[in-house]
Amino acid sequence: MADENIAVMKVQDVLMVTLPADPDDATVSSLQEKVLQVMEQSEVQGVILDISAVETLDSFFARTVAETAQMVALMGGRTVIAGMRPSVAITTTQLGLILGGAMTALDVDRALGMLSNTPQRGYGR
Amino acid sequence: MDTHTQAPVVTVREWEQRKEFVGFTDEDARLLRELGPIAEGYADEVVEGLYKQFLQFEETRAFFPDTATLNRVKALQKKYFLELTQGDYGAAYLANRLHVGQVHQQIGLSLRWYMGAYSIYVDLVYPCVLAAFKHDIEKGQRAFLALSKLVRLDTELVITTYIAPSAAIISMQARQARALLEISIPVVQVWAGVVAVPLIGMLDSQRAQLFTERLLERIVEMRASVALVDITGVPMMDTQTAQYLLEAISAVRLLGAQVILTGMRPTIAQTLVHLDIDLSSVATRPSLEAGLRLGLDMLDLQVVPRDAKP
Repeated sequence: MADENIAVMKVQDVLMVTLPADPDDATVSSLQEKVLQVMEQSEVQGVILDISAVETLDSFFARTVAETAQMVALMGGRTVIAGMRPSVAITTTQLGLILGGAMTALDVDRALGMLSNTPQRGYGR
Repeated sequence: MDTHTQAPVVTVREWEQRKEFVGFTDEDARLLRELGPIAEGYADEVVEGLYKQFLQFEETRAFFPDTATLNRVKALQKKYFLELTQGDYGAAYLANRLHVGQVHQQIGLSLRWYMGAYSIYVDLVYPCVLAAFKHDIEKGQRAFLALSKLVRLDTELVITTYIAPSAAIISMQARQARALLEISIPVVQVWAGVVAVPLIGMLDSQRAQLFTERLLERIVEMRASVALVDITGVPMMDTQTAQYLLEAISAVRLLGAQVILTGMRPTIAQTLVHLDIDLSSVATRPSLEAGLRLGLDMLDLQVVPRDAKP
């Protein structure tokens, strides 16, 4: 029920996950489930977490994202967090939250660019 | 009083709340109305007593340079005091009190003289009220209490009118300070995808917040992937500034961009090492030019002479 809030879309071998504005804990948990579910069923080389609508990010969210990135990496994929709002970025650093091995991108467009490049520099165009 | 151009200092609703808070009831209003005719009897005596006091002190004497002014003010004062016992303490009463307060604030009468006058007034009125109600002492006490309650409400209003202009100035100054702060943090685009900002001075909590906000907003706006932060204008580094800077750099990373720190002076580098601040994950270059070169490189761009051979 909670994962109806999260839009999940597979575009070739990239998984696009869009989060709502104020995801509750249940929604955040279901994010991890959803991602792993899809990765099990098909070949996914990259996961993009679109948080451009998210206004607040708490430690549970951060931890879940970090864990998810780790899991994705173990399954041979890369994770990119896209579209973080300035206010969320500031709060995240002030709270000292770590997003693990996930990469970050200005928006989904950049994120796609990052995933299609071979991981040499890591800076998207 | 220009109530048509700005919100009243105290609204009618707030006035009713204040009366309720101190327990000024309709009964009190009634008592005061009953006191009215009696007040007419002692009003002149009380005003004389008050102005005798004013004239004894140089600071208050200065407001009455001649007899004509003195008499005019005494008459106004008497009217003012009698309004305390006219029995109706609604919107009209409020408007009148606010107006008088404003006038006194504008002519520059210091608050302590205004407050002092109220205090003297209460002292002078007390025996008069008791004398008038000597056939019913308990009622006299209630009437006097009602009067002191109203006088205290009046002083509250006066203080509010005195504070109001200062409060407006302070909030305007705060707005101006904020605007100035924003102008002092110019984030410019030096190439497609590259922004640059000079950091001048040290960072305190407020500046750091503003600096980071501005930088992040501009990165989103310019769709930048590289931010050149020039610290040539930072005279010295302390733990606080370094910490705020690191936080800003982390925040920029969360937006998918990279920070290149430029203009680091040897003394700053020395301080950072001594403070054990870890900037190993941050790209640094000695000059803005070198920083730009690195930034372009990060974007897979290169500057070549026009006649370069392919």
